[in-house]
Amino acid sequence: MSAVGRVCGFLATLMLAGAAQAHIASNGFLSAHVDGRTVTGSYELAVRDVELAVGVDANRDGRVTWGELRNAQPQIMRYLAQHLALAAQGKDCDLAFQSIELNDRVDGNYVWVPFTARCPNEVNQLTIRYSVMDGVDPSHRGLLTLIAGSAVQTAVLDGKSSQAAFAVFAPSKWRAFTEYLQAGVWHILSGIDHLLFLLSLLLPAVLFRREGRWEPVAQARPALINILQVVTAFTLAHSITLTLAALDVVRLPSRLTESVIAASIIVAALNNIFPLVTDSRARIAFAFGLLHGFGFASVLTDMGLPHGARVISLLAFNLGIEAGQLAVVLTVMPILYAIRAGGFYRRGVMPWGSAAIAVIATVWLVQRAIFPS
Amino acid sequence: MPFGNMRKAMQGRLRVRRSRLFCALSLALAFNVSSAAPHIPGSDAEVVAELPLGARHSSTPALALTATRLDIALPLAQFDISQARATGDLRFLGYAEAILQPWLEQPAPAPQVLVLNATILQSRHAFAASLTELDRALKARPDDAQAWLTRATVLRVLGRYDEALDSCKHMARAADAAITTLCEQSLRGLTGHLDDAYAAILSQSPQDLPPEVRAWRYSELGEMAERLGDDAAAEHWFREGLQVAPQDFYMRTACADLLLRHQRAAETLQLLAGYESMEPMLLRIAIAHEQLHDASAASAEALLSNAFQVEEQRGESVHRREQARYLLDVSHQPEAALTAAQENWRVQHEPDDILILLRAAHDAHQGTAAEPALQFLRLQGLQDIRLEPYRKSS
Repeated sequence: MSAVGRVCGFLATLMLAGAAQAHIASNGFLSAHVDGRTVTGSYELAVRDVELAVGVDANRDGRVTWGELRNAQPQIMRYLAQHLALAAQGKDCDLAFQSIELNDRVDGNYVWVPFTARCPNEVNQLTIRYSVMDGVDPSHRGLLTLIAGSAVQTAVLDGKSSQAAFAVFAPSKWRAFTEYLQAGVWHILSGIDHLLFLLSLLLPAVLFRREGRWEPVAQARPALINILQVVTAFTLAHSITLTLAALDVVRLPSRLTESVIAASIIVAALNNIFPLVTDSRARIAFAFGLLHGFGFASVLTDMGLPHGARVISLLAFNLGIEAGQLAVVLTVMPILYAIRAGGFYRRGVMPWGSAAIAVIATVWLVQRAIFPS
Repeated sequence: MPFGNMRKAMQGRLRVRRSRLFCALSLALAFNVSSAAPHIPGSDAEVVAELPLGARHSSTPALALTATRLDIALPLAQFDISQARATGDLRFLGYAEAILQPWLEQPAPAPQVLVLNATILQSRHAFAASLTELDRALKARPDDAQAWLTRATVLRVLGRYDEALDSCKHMARAADAAITTLCEQSLRGLTGHLDDAYAAILSQSPQDLPPEVRAWRYSELGEMAERLGDDAAAEHWFREGLQVAPQDFYMRTACADLLLRHQRAAETLQLLAGYESMEPMLLRIAIAHEQLHDASAASAEALLSNAFQVEEQRGESVHRREQARYLLDVSHQPEAALTAAQENWRVQHEPDDILILLRAAHDAHQGTAAEPALQFLRLQGLQDIRLEPYRKSS
């Protein structure tokens, strides 16, 4: 989510081409990312403003070269140290600036200074003291983008008010739980490949094999046991690998896991048309479920696990997946049970539905194995 | 105080546009433009910035003196304000502000300091604050011609013509008769006496005027001719004026608008070549490219919307005339343009503000939205042939 906010705040201004410039008032761009006790980010000040504040044009020819800027780096850092400070709950953070670089913005080149601040405590309230260009250009403003977890806030730092405090979104455990629970549900419901795999294994759950033919089960009980076995095996398996991957114990290349997930669907679907394994599909569910777990984990890697709420978020995500899965099973299975006896189901849905699933999965397999994105 | 400054106060209405609506747009555009990111230049010899005169660290020792010496502070602040006007470089307004700051903090600031501060505020479209400073200055020095003229200018932008005329009259006691005439006639030209006022200014002999007042006269003549419908004469006056004062970017944008109204995009680009760093100019350049349907349109648009966006991020009071213009003529969003034009109308009432409101209301098919401006037109008897087509249709 933070990416979206940043895109609007930054990309547009970063992505300008060429030497074209427009005049705007003086701004310093402060981007800060809070993570626990650490604040990382960058500060940018126009070369022109740096000259005015610090004096970098050593030969005074009215043109600032990169060499002059580099030579003035100690003075620039000293100036920034005097005019920019961070504190967590009122206690000063140790702010260290790193080597300068150059960034092209709408009104010309900016000195770009990355920084890392280590704070005495976990940051709940970040105080920023800002007085860059003080006494030189009162119309100067610091434009702040503050990122903490998935929250992005922007603010204007005014030299006159000299300091501003910002409440940093500390992800409460309950909030993290609901957020990751939702993410899990959403992922399973929109992750059609996982559902097709499960469906392929569940299609024959309301039938049983006799003399090379599919027969409807007479009672709900054997169907329920079937379903329970498959779903439990799948859940158990993918929970194991999801946990291992999310906690960074095991890591597999996504091209491999995604391809094998596609392959697993083909196997499960073909098994319905040319049954090899008829009485313990739970084993298939378990074996391939291990791979599906890695697939789920990739989503979690993209989201990141929130600092201080890793385990609870992982649990919530997993529960979300199970809840979504359960919802699908509870919706689909009664229908399949109801129509299990008819020829439409046994000679239509079973073979042709499975064939369709196999075809779709084959396309995925080719895409994922040969043309990974 | 030289009268050139007065003239600039009257004419140099520094315009900066910003926008709340451009985020998505600027992004869309930015993706079409090659990306930049923090980097380390290949060579130490690479020039990374050219410093304009008066923006160097080496000049700060002189600046230190400005805190104690008013006779140094005033001309330096004046210089910075002129630089801002001549180049559109807003940082100079900040430098002037820095010079004035210690003087403004005094219990009873000098009237000249207040007038310069009022000029800075006016340039930032903080009209109410500007008037307050001027009234303070005039209380201390009732015959300050510069203060009366700046006051007339601000009131004119606000559409408060009677009060503006009153300010011109006050000025008569202290200022050159030619300047008072220009001040008064330019206002009469907005309140139902356009032909007479045009003739009166026409009869002034340019030779009797200092060069910068001469440019002001050309500018008024150009605008009046345009409102009368004599575009050929208007162009003539603008071009004459630009000969006298090439740095007068208010006049240059007026001339560009005239050319653009006649779809003379190529000539517009010629006129504005070298002025790309000023947002108002950039807007006209973007419109010209739009008229030509050429590929350069995207980069002008991207630059413009980027500048808008950064200014929006600063959260300053937004001036919307050029934003409205941008939305109407470049990105073709009449509804959004109308909203911007209406917000702009709440702040200022120049003929161009009326024009953009009527045009936006017309294109958005919301004739009633233009009613406040039409009422203003009727009330003042303001004559402007550019407004006629929209007047009838709405």
